[in-house]
Amino acid sequence: MSTVAETSITLTPEHDARPGATVRSRLQDALPKLVLAPSFAATIVFVYGFILWTIYLSFTNSKTFPSYAITGPRAYQRLWRWTFESDPPSSWYTSITNMGIFGFLYISICLALGLFLAILLDQKIRGEGVLRPIYLYPMALSFIVTGVAWKWFLDPGLGLEQTLHQWGWTSFHFDWIKNKDFVIYTVVIAGVWQASGFIMAMFLAGLRGIDGEILKAAQIDGATTFQLYRRIVIPLLRPIFLSALIVLAHLAIKSYDLVVALTSGGPGGSAWLPSNFMYEYTFKRNEMAVGSASAVIMLMTITAIIVPYLYSELREKPR
Amino acid sequence: MSAVATPARQSTGGISARTVNRIVIYGLLALFALFYLMPLFVMLVTSFKTMDEIQNGNMLALPQEPTFAPWIRAWSEVCSGLTCVGMKGYFWNSIKMVVPAVIISTLLGALNGYVLTKWRFRGATLVFGLMLFACFIPFQSVLLPMATILGSLGRFGVKLQNATGLTFGFGNPTVNLVFVHVVYGIGFTTLFFRNYYEAFPNELVKAAQIDGASFFQIFRRIMLPNSLPIIVVTVIYQFTNIWNDFLFASAYAGSGDVMPMTVALNNVVNTSTGVVEYNVNMAAAMIAALPTLLVYVLAGRYFVRGLMAGAVKG
Amino acid sequence: MAFLEIDGLKKRFGAVEILKGIDLDLEKGGFLVLVGPSGCGKSTLLNTIAGLETITEGEIRVDGRTINDLHPSKRDIAMVFQSYALYPNMTVAGNIAFGMEMRGVPAGERQKAIDKVAKVLQIGHLLKRKPSQLSGGQRQRVAMGRALVRDPKLFLFDEPLSNLDAKLRVDMRIEIKRLHATTGTTIVYVTHDQIEAMTLATKIAVMRDGEVQQFGTPAEIYNNPVNLFVADFMGSPAMNLIPATIGSNGSGFSVVMEREARQPISLPLGNAPAGLSAFQGKPIIFGVRPEALTDPEGAERNASNIARADCHIEVIEPAGSDTFAVTNLGGKAVVARLRADAKIQPGTVTPLAFNLTKAVFFDPATEKRIV
Repeated sequence: MSTVAETSITLTPEHDARPGATVRSRLQDALPKLVLAPSFAATIVFVYGFILWTIYLSFTNSKTFPSYAITGPRAYQRLWRWTFESDPPSSWYTSITNMGIFGFLYISICLALGLFLAILLDQKIRGEGVLRPIYLYPMALSFIVTGVAWKWFLDPGLGLEQTLHQWGWTSFHFDWIKNKDFVIYTVVIAGVWQASGFIMAMFLAGLRGIDGEILKAAQIDGATTFQLYRRIVIPLLRPIFLSALIVLAHLAIKSYDLVVALTSGGPGGSAWLPSNFMYEYTFKRNEMAVGSASAVIMLMTITAIIVPYLYSELREKPR
Repeated sequence: MSAVATPARQSTGGISARTVNRIVIYGLLALFALFYLMPLFVMLVTSFKTMDEIQNGNMLALPQEPTFAPWIRAWSEVCSGLTCVGMKGYFWNSIKMVVPAVIISTLLGALNGYVLTKWRFRGATLVFGLMLFACFIPFQSVLLPMATILGSLGRFGVKLQNATGLTFGFGNPTVNLVFVHVVYGIGFTTLFFRNYYEAFPNELVKAAQIDGASFFQIFRRIMLPNSLPIIVVTVIYQFTNIWNDFLFASAYAGSGDVMPMTVALNNVVNTSTGVVEYNVNMAAAMIAALPTLLVYVLAGRYFVRGLMAGAVKG
Repeated sequence: MAFLEIDGLKKRFGAVEILKGIDLDLEKGGFLVLVGPSGCGKSTLLNTIAGLETITEGEIRVDGRTINDLHPSKRDIAMVFQSYALYPNMTVAGNIAFGMEMRGVPAGERQKAIDKVAKVLQIGHLLKRKPSQLSGGQRQRVAMGRALVRDPKLFLFDEPLSNLDAKLRVDMRIEIKRLHATTGTTIVYVTHDQIEAMTLATKIAVMRDGEVQQFGTPAEIYNNPVNLFVADFMGSPAMNLIPATIGSNGSGFSVVMEREARQPISLPLGNAPAGLSAFQGKPIIFGVRPEALTDPEGAERNASNIARADCHIEVIEPAGSDTFAVTNLGGKAVVARLRADAKIQPGTVTPLAFNLTKAVFFDPATEKRIV
């Protein structure tokens, strides 16, 4: 049975038979909306209102404290200038270049590794129940703990390099975490370590959701295992790719903690991401307007990714 | 089940291609298991070693003389900045912040989901969309205004205290963080419950209406008792998220004895007075990681489901 | 004055009109079945009677009282849902008593009422179980128990049998019929299954696109469908609706059906409806139910007008109790219902008997019956 009415039930609030509803019945009428109202109001004020506030601040010359006299897009002009200041690199230049490197590598490695592990685990593996949680547990840790662990592990004097030296491989050299040109790649390593297992779980769920009959049909059509994955399975996982991409993009642009814990910003701020730039400029360097402008730019970037996605998600199931 | 069954191939003497295949697959899986386990393993063994053993021994070696001293030091003595009282106070700070924030945001999410699915009104999808988008914003874009507002609330609290002797929680960093986490968490909790209640039969609500149950009676007697799975998912998701948060914590409770665990850990690790006690640092990191790891171990299945729900597709 | 009266009921969602002016009435103790295809508005209509959906226009009265704006719980109704809608977190007893609990009935009285209903429905041994521990048929009984315990003025059933397997469905159908006979309650029942409608109803309303196509007793609906839709929808196998033309053969009219690669069949109509005269030489739709198209030996003995014609049999379907034969008339596959032991072979030409007293005619332009 599917009438239009079926999908949306409109429940009739208690009415008196007399015309002219009483106060009580009108209250009943409004009750659902009253219940939702505080959450919605909080969202409007503390999310959208605050975003407007931040945008406003980015057009002032706020330093240590907010100032509310509009002075034009000076903060954006500075950011724009810094965007091209590559030698020596400005902090903003470093941040957005790092964002590009980190974002690209983090997302693509997580997707590739996650898919690869999911396919391996989907080969009727004995001990899957043990392996899956091992791949996944890093996601339960905070970025701070992840950072602390990897900081130790990658420290040339204590971690991997030292260990391999002790084992006799004395020529081994791995000091990326102290090298301003390579420090961002250590952030990638730690980030991938933390999130790839979760992406694996997403893909595995997707693989398990594929109709087995399609695969049987393809095998009868003579597809090899490789062809089967390339031509049938991976195309069918497209929605998972999209969801995983959104999750990763969202995590990447928020990765503030990881940089702080792993590298403390790296030598001379060489590991900064825009989120670190924003925090440092706003709270440490007393350049509130510039910090706000950078936050606005981050927001616009994520909006460009998320809004089309949310729109299609909410529209797909029309109500 | 989707596992692509590798078509059985005839073995032509010796080791079959299939066996080689299996060995390669298991080998790769084991290698990656090592990659994921290594940092935790190193953290764990280091936290039970003496400093002597750390400086002279191998990172991967098991502790020769296991000692609990680093854990005890981390819990009750370690220095964060100039205060040396251990992690225990910060641990409780985190607990005091997490528990109310999780309860309030979950309850609000449940109510919102109930309204958005069972009491639909014109514009419900728009309301939900606006709340959902709020989940994805970089919190940097609201960090500053929130700091300003919390600052004025703090001054209001001082005035209240002067007038009445009580602050009523205004200006208390823990209360502030609870507030912040509730506000920026309801998007996700609403999403979880909305998706769950979307599949919850409308007929049950209709039947309860005919039985004469009111809005809140339906919620309390029909919806909530049947929501255990999604409550577990939401609680786990919120718990890990809030416990692990660093940005809000460092911005609004970033110093002094009000710091939550994550900020305190970061300070401990970066405290550079005297010799760096790596074993104590690792023990402190383990203490910070334990609650979420424990949740993950106890309820891993729900943990994954919660994370997946974060990708909207439920 | 009827017990349940629905006057000019309209329901709109925005610009979409779901119910386009429904007028129905039902006497006390009657059994009204709303039947129609998916999306015809029958469930919406039931929901408006229950008060689960508001109405845009019109009036609903029960026992003389207008209930348009009453809360569902104040309408003195009970409803059995398609999914049974048993509260999964409560025991069977808790489910049955929930409504009384909400009304503040004391525990002792509730227990008495539960016991009484449990006895009627023979579910006493299930009272402590949760719905998930019950079979489909048991859930169905509990759902009916929850409705019965209210002792309402009006029972509403929303496709209550559609989730049961075929055999159980027949059993429960009989059970519902018995319940109706013994308690004498007034029932409104929604289904898309025309057999349920025929067997249960005292009155049937056939609905399509938010309108009542025909409202009448099962016999009226079956024998005198007012239009092509009702003729086609009610009955299984469905009525044969054959494109034909009306000819005259001196003494009266005849109905002429084209056949592929054969001579057209022409059947003389002894007692044609008066309206048919306007269609002389024009196309009509000739409606004949499969049971009115038989092997000559199986034809109804006392029918006044039986015509025979040789037909080419394309397919036969022995169904045990009957044998169905398919022939082609007017470009359509036409089903005849023969006796089980009728000697018939596919691919042969066999005489079939048309019981023309049961035949009906429709105007292809308006789709209305010609009377």
